[in-house]
Amino acid sequence: MRISNNSVYENIKYNLELATQAMIEANNVVSSNKKINHLSDDPVGLANVLDLRASLADIAQIGRNIGTGQSWLSAGENALTQIEDLLAQTKTLTVEMSSATKTASQRQNAAATVDGYLRQVASLANTQVNGRYIFGGTVTNTQSFTFDNETTPTLMTYNGNNTAFAIRIGQNSDIEVGRDGADVFGTNWDDDNIFKTLIDLKNNLQTNNVGGVQSAMNMLDDNLNGVRTKIANTGSKILRLDVKQSIIDDMSINYTERKSKIEDADIAEAIMNLKAKELAYQAVLSSSSKVMDLSLVNYL
Amino acid sequence: MSGAGMVLSVAKGALLAQRGAIDIISHNIANVNTPGYSKQTAILSAIEGSPYSGKIFGRGVSLEEILRNTDSFVENRLRERRSELSAMQEKEIYMSTIEGLFSENTENGLSTQLVDFWNAWYDVSNNPAGIPEREIINERGVLLSQAFQSLSTDLYAMQQEVNHTLSSTLENINALTAKIAELSEQIVGMQVKGEANDLKDRRSEYLTQLAGYINVKAYEHEDGNMTVSTGRGYLLVCKAENYELSLEGDQIVWESSGTGTVNITDTITGGKLGGWLDIRDELIPKYQADMDEMAKAIIWQVNQTHSQGVGLNGFTGVTGTDAATGAAIALGTAGSGLDFYDKIQDGSFQIWLYDSSGALVGATSTAIPIDADVTTLNALAADLTTIDTDLGAADVFSATVNADNRLVLTATGGYTFAFSGDTSNVLAALGVNTFFTGDSAATIAMNPALALDKNLIAAGRVSATGEIAAGDNSNALVMSNLQYEDTSIRRWIYERGETAVSGNVVGTIGAYLSSFESSIGIASQSAQRLREFNQSIFNTLRQARDSVSGVSLDEEMTNLIKYQHAYTAAAKLVTTADQMLETLLNLKTI
Repeated sequence: MRISNNSVYENIKYNLELATQAMIEANNVVSSNKKINHLSDDPVGLANVLDLRASLADIAQIGRNIGTGQSWLSAGENALTQIEDLLAQTKTLTVEMSSATKTASQRQNAAATVDGYLRQVASLANTQVNGRYIFGGTVTNTQSFTFDNETTPTLMTYNGNNTAFAIRIGQNSDIEVGRDGADVFGTNWDDDNIFKTLIDLKNNLQTNNVGGVQSAMNMLDDNLNGVRTKIANTGSKILRLDVKQSIIDDMSINYTERKSKIEDADIAEAIMNLKAKELAYQAVLSSSSKVMDLSLVNYL
Repeated sequence: MSGAGMVLSVAKGALLAQRGAIDIISHNIANVNTPGYSKQTAILSAIEGSPYSGKIFGRGVSLEEILRNTDSFVENRLRERRSELSAMQEKEIYMSTIEGLFSENTENGLSTQLVDFWNAWYDVSNNPAGIPEREIINERGVLLSQAFQSLSTDLYAMQQEVNHTLSSTLENINALTAKIAELSEQIVGMQVKGEANDLKDRRSEYLTQLAGYINVKAYEHEDGNMTVSTGRGYLLVCKAENYELSLEGDQIVWESSGTGTVNITDTITGGKLGGWLDIRDELIPKYQADMDEMAKAIIWQVNQTHSQGVGLNGFTGVTGTDAATGAAIALGTAGSGLDFYDKIQDGSFQIWLYDSSGALVGATSTAIPIDADVTTLNALAADLTTIDTDLGAADVFSATVNADNRLVLTATGGYTFAFSGDTSNVLAALGVNTFFTGDSAATIAMNPALALDKNLIAAGRVSATGEIAAGDNSNALVMSNLQYEDTSIRRWIYERGETAVSGNVVGTIGAYLSSFESSIGIASQSAQRLREFNQSIFNTLRQARDSVSGVSLDEEMTNLIKYQHAYTAAAKLVTTADQMLETLLNLKTI
């Protein structure tokens, strides 16, 4: 084929262009450390990366949700354990005070202790996490339990509702981390209400009503059982969140790895590639300069 | 005739012919870099001999013709490929701009915004009464809307840019066709005296430039005239006449010799125009439409969920964000003019009324029934406006239709109201208690009422007993769950000259977005590959053309030496003839 001067120069230009472009692309991969720098670099891979990114963001969010849940549950567990302690102490005191050897004044003193316990339980029942009441159902902004009369309470009012506050720890998977206060402290004011038990006990001790004091023991047992069930239940929820947390941690590592495989450049390979492209570019430069120098004109 | 006179005459002819050949070589050398120049070759031929003493003696050489080295087949292929290549180059440039708009390498990509939006609802569900969380969901809603809006605006601007470029390009095309017509006229005139080689080169170069702008077919006539046509045979040049192209609106029209015009937009497939029109009429409209569908799906899903919920407190007043065309038209029919009229179905919703202390009025809600094909805005307002007296309160609530045909609900005297259990979708369609406004990527925006009062962001729902609890996150949980839910979203296909068609794709909004972005990547990738493919074919054809028409300096130098020697030899002939004549003349004097 006859080669015209124009062909020679156009070819050199085209080849230089290709070599420069290849080198710049290789350089982009090295400097960004990513294989996918434009949507068009790997459209299918990109779709996967976007899905994985969304999943990772979702996992991170679930992690935050679990964090919220754990702070609620551990606050709840803490409060319930303290209430259990207080009830157990009350029970010890009650056993002591039901003995015939105790005097009315001793019982009066005990009444004062029970009153202290009552107030402590009441304050625990109004436990807050970040300013939100955890035993008030979804009524988190109003104090959950209020005495009818602060100095001589005869009745405890529940201001919350019966829907426990729940968080989401996965698609369609909710976990109740708050509690319906009525369920914890007794639904029925006449039967099994912890506050009623304590108020009655206090009144019976004050009035030296030994029969009444003795009858409080059964109620306290019921209440203790109730609280212990709730503690066990909270513990199992905390465990569930821990398990979920470790699952999503694993998922997060797994997804990150998959995402990295698709979009991150193998740096050693990328540098080798850049070197190869650089070499090719230099080869084009040197061969082109030689070809351009050649002309019959030089020899005439 | 023979003898010294003959030698002299042959020498003279040879000198002229060789010098002519050297002239042609110098012309070739001078034009080695001229675009479109075709190498010219001297065609020498021996002059027919004449008889002398029974023999035929040749009479030397003459410059028969100056040949223009071209191959019209290759030229035509090259020109066609140039049209294709120009189209692809423009497509590649625009696609790389478009893919840059949708780049996901920054944290501001659409998919990041979308994920952040859903996650912000999770944060609200973790702390439904929290003011920071409410501020953030509002912010995320604004950012998501802005992401959609700015992409939509950028795509629209790109379309406008193409339109601006079109008009200046058409001027170039018209100038080129005018020059081609003018050159044709000159060529025909010159053909009488000899070949108009250089004029033809110029015409060919203009034609090549023209092919870069628009797909053309050219045919050269015997007499030197040229016919150039585009698209489905619309003449651009015929003899010394050229036909102009112009813009009518955003359509390209061909002006016939009469007064009529023909819209040829969809027949232009090649050249920069072809590339631009593909971008303007196929790619950008598709991306616009798909983004609109996506924005529409997000707006509807979020609004529909939002309208089921309640904020930290009820409304004291609310005006629908979507206006109907008339107050007496059934809401569920196309005539209502509501963006989401087709979502309205037979059903009902509950409205609750609270007094200034927040206590529920009448201990119950009022159910408002909706019949999609019957209920009008007026009827709905009439149903609503009496709920206060029906519930046993004084005149504290009113429902009216304003001048824009929007539903306006107002409570007075510190009373508030809230909604729940809307099975008819009418609230979301009217823009009452909704999160977004608008119905497309260009119009999506935060409901200004929520932006003003973040307490109205509906994280919870009114309970069955009418209670609005601050810690209720049930609606926020449903909202954050929307990201996992499959929905049916249209995907559009635009083809020039055809009506746009669409098909439904079922999947999550996130999946639609990632496949949408990946389709942009694929389009850009295929534009690059087609450009590369056309480039290599173009290069091969150009080499083929240059191998016929291009100037090779080495070749010219060789020929130069060749003709120079022949010229020297011919000059020698003159000296020889001179000596021969001198010899003869000396004979006489002796």
